[in-house]
Amino acid sequence: MTAAPGQPARSVLACGEVRTCLLPSVQALDARAAAQLLRLRADEHVRVSERPSMYALSPEILTGVDCRLPASNGTKVRGVGTVAARAVLTEGRLLQSTAYFSLPATGPDMRRPWGQYLVRPGLVEPFGKLPQQATADGVLRGAGRGELDLGMISEGLLAQLRRHALLDRRVPFKSSPTRLRWVARRVPAGERASLANFTVAEGGLRTMELRLPEGIPAASAAGLCEDLALHDWLLTTVQHMLDNNRIGAIDGPSVVEALHPVVVHLLHLWMPRAHVDPALSHLWDVLEDKPGFSRQWENLSRRIRDRLALQAVAMPHQALSTS
Amino acid sequence: MTDTAFRETTAEPVTKSVPLAHLSLELGHLYMEDFEAGPKRLGEHFAEVRVWADAVRASAARRSKRPRISTCFLIDDYFTRFSTPAELIPMILKEAEKAGLVIDYLARESSCAVADRIELAESVMHRLVESPPPGTYGSRPPVSQTGWLPNGQRTPSTSRSALGAVKGWEPPQETAARNHSVFMDVELWSERDGKRLWSCPFLAAVWQLARLGLLRHLGEPVLVPKDWEGEDFPHDWDRLPPLTRLTDTKAAFSAYRTCTLMPNRFLAVEDAVRLILDQTDVDAGALRQVAERSAAEGMPVPAAVAQRATYVFYEEPGDSSEAEET
Repeated sequence: MTAAPGQPARSVLACGEVRTCLLPSVQALDARAAAQLLRLRADEHVRVSERPSMYALSPEILTGVDCRLPASNGTKVRGVGTVAARAVLTEGRLLQSTAYFSLPATGPDMRRPWGQYLVRPGLVEPFGKLPQQATADGVLRGAGRGELDLGMISEGLLAQLRRHALLDRRVPFKSSPTRLRWVARRVPAGERASLANFTVAEGGLRTMELRLPEGIPAASAAGLCEDLALHDWLLTTVQHMLDNNRIGAIDGPSVVEALHPVVVHLLHLWMPRAHVDPALSHLWDVLEDKPGFSRQWENLSRRIRDRLALQAVAMPHQALSTS
Repeated sequence: MTDTAFRETTAEPVTKSVPLAHLSLELGHLYMEDFEAGPKRLGEHFAEVRVWADAVRASAARRSKRPRISTCFLIDDYFTRFSTPAELIPMILKEAEKAGLVIDYLARESSCAVADRIELAESVMHRLVESPPPGTYGSRPPVSQTGWLPNGQRTPSTSRSALGAVKGWEPPQETAARNHSVFMDVELWSERDGKRLWSCPFLAAVWQLARLGLLRHLGEPVLVPKDWEGEDFPHDWDRLPPLTRLTDTKAAFSAYRTCTLMPNRFLAVEDAVRLILDQTDVDAGALRQVAERSAAEGMPVPAAVAQRATYVFYEEPGDSSEAEET
């Protein structure tokens, strides 16, 4: 029943929640500052990658839990273990935090010494048999009272980072954070990973279900979900800005003013699968096919550029020089 | 992220491995009071330690035909500074030799706090993951704020309930209790004049992690032993390396397991060390290396880190009550 230390015990389910928001800083951070922000532990590296886009990934920190697992049908199963949390900063501009854990099919009926949980980071063991379907549904629905709360853990990390002394806590424009809850069911190694569904719900909530072959770490699934959450946030935010500004209705320099932050801060961030595990990057194809994430982004960008071009043509020279 | 021609080293950090012996045997801890009691008492310590050291070697020989055992000794230069390396170290080595003991590695206690300008204690503090009492669903208990680490839930602070009635006393609860609790709360540090003073158990926990080969700083080994070139030892503790190799032993400082021989008055401190180790999330890369290599040598380590440390607590030699009164 016990796996060798350091070896992930065989899990049947991995679940997580990603929160995505704009970094509260007028300036985007460079690679050095990003590494400083995400240095959650003094003795561990922040992974920084500058190609094809600047991406910084924090070390993982653990939170100990001993509580009921989320369950859609009211089943009460106690789980004990650790939830891993990590943060990502993309292009020094978009901040994300993920809390995630894996679950084996069964666990012992009593609590082990704590040190034994710590050598299997990111694993929560159920007492007895795991009700897989109910737990998966419960995670997607969100934690009930007293249930393991991924949202609280990822939000806690995000809040801690937002308060960091490096940040001036001023945003260049208004936007809303999004949450993406995900569950990944384990399938035998050798099968292909697949995306079962991606749902855009209200209030900035998205849910996602995956099939993940054994042997692909849960951290890779977390990375894919962060990538999808980031691009979904971009679409949501830019679409919302265009709607809000009723771009068709306004005219003159105010168009430039309204679209300025999009051009300066967001247009260059679109880079699907840039830092996704190659074993999972094909899952993007599903969303490219329908609804067509990149298609929508191209359309939005084109609208912005067209509006700005029109404005430039229409604007008399003196107006340009005074604006 | 393999199978690609393009790589960025900053995106793929590695954890360097360290050489590992089978057993790290600690022959003693020296505090000022021991030093003040004179070389004779130190000699008596070593004579007692020798007996148990032989027993430990015999035990290690049951696991391996050619056990790799390194010995070490720790001198306190953190809580109190006394004497000088030039005066003290030759005396220790002489007394050890008289008892037939060889000290391979000598460490300064202050190096468990800071070694080679790396704040080891601070790094380990960031790695504490508290054992969650039942009902913990995602809040992070603020160990870094209180500076205390318990093995369960404390007695709730006496406060009036909403209706003003004073509630009766409620007992603390050990999380891993079997029928009854043995509740413990360990002070990890204190602050004076804005300076942090790490507690003895916390530094000893760092010391255990170092001996178990589980400490790294940005993937690099820490507390790497330096050879002493045989000249006189310095007159200032700060000029002595954090960890000095005194012999030409081939056995590495760090090991799969540790055994510590010490007087029984340290029992509470070492129990606290186990409490800390049991709630420390050690470097995953280092953990994996130790697990794989010990398994490959046919002596797999226990999964939980605290279980890798064993102790012999012996009766203090001589008239210790007299020594304590001085």
